[in-house]
Amino acid sequence: MSTSAPRQKHGGRLSNGAFALLLTAPGLALFAAIIVYPLVSALFTGFFRQDLRLPGREFVGLENFTYWLDSGFGTILKQTLVFTVGATIVPFLIGFALALALNSGLKGSGFLRGLFLFPWVIPGVVVSFLWMWIFNANYGVLNGILLELGFIEESVSWLGKPGTAMLAVIITKTWASFPWMMVMLLAGLQTVPKELHEAAAMDGAGAIRRFFAVTWPQVRGVASIVLLLEFIWNFQHFDTIYVLTGGGPAGATETFATAVYQSAFKGFDLGRATALGGLWMLLLLVLVAAYLWITERKGDAR
Amino acid sequence: MTTSGISRRSALRMFGIGALGVAGAGTLAACAPSGGSSSSNGGDTKAKDFAFTSWSLNEEAAKPAVEKIIAAWEKAEKSKIRTVSYPYNEYLSQLTLKLGGGETTGAVQLDIAWLGAVAQMGKLADLSAAAKKGGYTDVGVKSGVYDGVQYGLPWTTGSIGLIANSKLLEKAGITEHPKTTEEFEAALRELKGLGGGVVPYAAATKVAQLKDIFPWMQTFGCTLLDGDKVTIGDDASVDAVTWYKKLHDAKLIAADVDRFDARALFGQGKAAFYDDAIIGKGATAAQSKDKTLADAMQPVTRPVLTSGDTPRALLWGHVIAVAKGEGQEAATEFALHATSDRATTVEYFETLALPPATTQGLADPKVKDDAFTTAWTEQITKTATGSPFWQFAQNAQIEEAVAKQVQAVLVGGAKPKDAMKQAGKEVADLIKR
Repeated sequence: MSTSAPRQKHGGRLSNGAFALLLTAPGLALFAAIIVYPLVSALFTGFFRQDLRLPGREFVGLENFTYWLDSGFGTILKQTLVFTVGATIVPFLIGFALALALNSGLKGSGFLRGLFLFPWVIPGVVVSFLWMWIFNANYGVLNGILLELGFIEESVSWLGKPGTAMLAVIITKTWASFPWMMVMLLAGLQTVPKELHEAAAMDGAGAIRRFFAVTWPQVRGVASIVLLLEFIWNFQHFDTIYVLTGGGPAGATETFATAVYQSAFKGFDLGRATALGGLWMLLLLVLVAAYLWITERKGDAR
Repeated sequence: MTTSGISRRSALRMFGIGALGVAGAGTLAACAPSGGSSSSNGGDTKAKDFAFTSWSLNEEAAKPAVEKIIAAWEKAEKSKIRTVSYPYNEYLSQLTLKLGGGETTGAVQLDIAWLGAVAQMGKLADLSAAAKKGGYTDVGVKSGVYDGVQYGLPWTTGSIGLIANSKLLEKAGITEHPKTTEEFEAALRELKGLGGGVVPYAAATKVAQLKDIFPWMQTFGCTLLDGDKVTIGDDASVDAVTWYKKLHDAKLIAADVDRFDARALFGQGKAAFYDDAIIGKGATAAQSKDKTLADAMQPVTRPVLTSGDTPRALLWGHVIAVAKGEGQEAATEFALHATSDRATTVEYFETLALPPATTQGLADPKVKDDAFTTAWTEQITKTATGSPFWQFAQNAQIEEAVAKQVQAVLVGGAKPKDAMKQAGKEVADLIKR
């Protein structure tokens, strides 16, 4: 039964399309004002030499883009990917393992679920400062414990060495991220019918076989969303890296987010900052294309 | 039952596209220019109430002293001062953005190294008339001048130099301050021998304060700038960084240290030398549990490469500038009072060990008879010079470009010669922009 006809009669002359447009107009106007206009304006700025402090700007064509492509773009891309992949995979594995444990009817799982959520509710900047003190080379807790236990003979500069700085940043982000992944995956796990597990067990399937044959196919959709979202967030993540290392030492943890920030708000070079932002967005579009291609291919294969 | 007609795959796809789109757009939108700027930040210039932007209000040791000056002014003038503060390491960025955006008015504390960059924004008032009433020293007056205009009233003028913990030196059997870099290195090795986690020299190794390398480069003979030519990258600068790297690898200086880490280490009695401005005595002693530490702190003349060379030190100081616009006149009067009123400046000195920039203030017995200040002036400030890069709006970027290259050397990511060549090139490019 349709209810649209009587409504049209009583409501006057608006068609369904016009009514829908009316409903979306405020949202579209807001979107245009706070996203589209600044975005287009920023993209345009990439073609100018413009200092954030001084009035006026000078058209320089592709100079700002070639500057980045000639100096450091590859390194920034590589480091962004290392951080993004590391800070996505590690918390996913930890979150999934904990979700499986909590879903297995573990005693006190309700309490543990609440406890594990604790890092997630702390603001990111606070988490970053907390870990900055833990990793501090000269009076950090980590060095204190390792020295006490005799694992190291002298303090290690965790955030001051290129090799360990990125690891420290990934560990910090993992600590902040795994709880929400755990919660999402746990929700997915709880939708898996117990009967499927019982049937598989009766057919002689062990725990590992049941995981791959029953559990994983059921939670794969949730896992994909969780991984995709975390990847996107990490690709543009800023606060943990900025607070912990500021992109250092010697640029070893510099990602697109910190490089754009440093260029715009430390170097006050709006032209170069927006040029890098443009290149960064181009990469995000490549990710979109890759994502569409993968999902389409999967769809066709079915 | 009806369905939406959207498959799970489509929904997932749209979700992904939406999230990616917003992520990218949001990222770029944050960099969007905010439009043109005018030279005044608007408002009633005769308003009695005004704002005071200061990093000292963000520092535990200095905050009460500055708040006291503000409270006294508010009481006497029956007006209200709105305080704004940012941490020192973020101060210039935040101030620049707010000042450029027209959000900063009133009095503004500035490091003399930043005056050129901020003055070029065209937002600061000319304080020449007020400066004539202050009775400032010549050096003080000059520290507030950029391009022939008096933009700042000098609050304190001094230098950045080495501070030693005499207790640790004594413990290591060092009876005299080292005079040359060779003697300095030998002293650091003696101090390292004390063990117990002592950092012989808590030199800056984080980018934020690695500008401290400049006086060492000058010590090794690099002029930094010769006329229009950037000399960073010459043999002297390479030698200086090679030496710094040697100290780093021998663990005579520690990784991951900025000014605040250095003060903390020194305050804990775990650092024998560190670089600081004269304010370091008050700031470090205030946070130390050892109440006798202040007596053990000694200013040290920076060691020279060869006996007879002039010791190098960086001029340092604070000025109070005033933004054009709301409360400009009252803020100028406040700046004049805070920087030149004898009782106020002497009390400020007593609390923070920051010497006044007025001849009357310096002549006050409480200042004149202070042994640490006198020794500092004689041993460090006497030969201090400003940085040749302060004249450029890009000074902060220049310091950071050099600091990043020095840090690359320290962590083994670059060779001193290549890093200094690159630093010199980057500095030259920044000056040209």
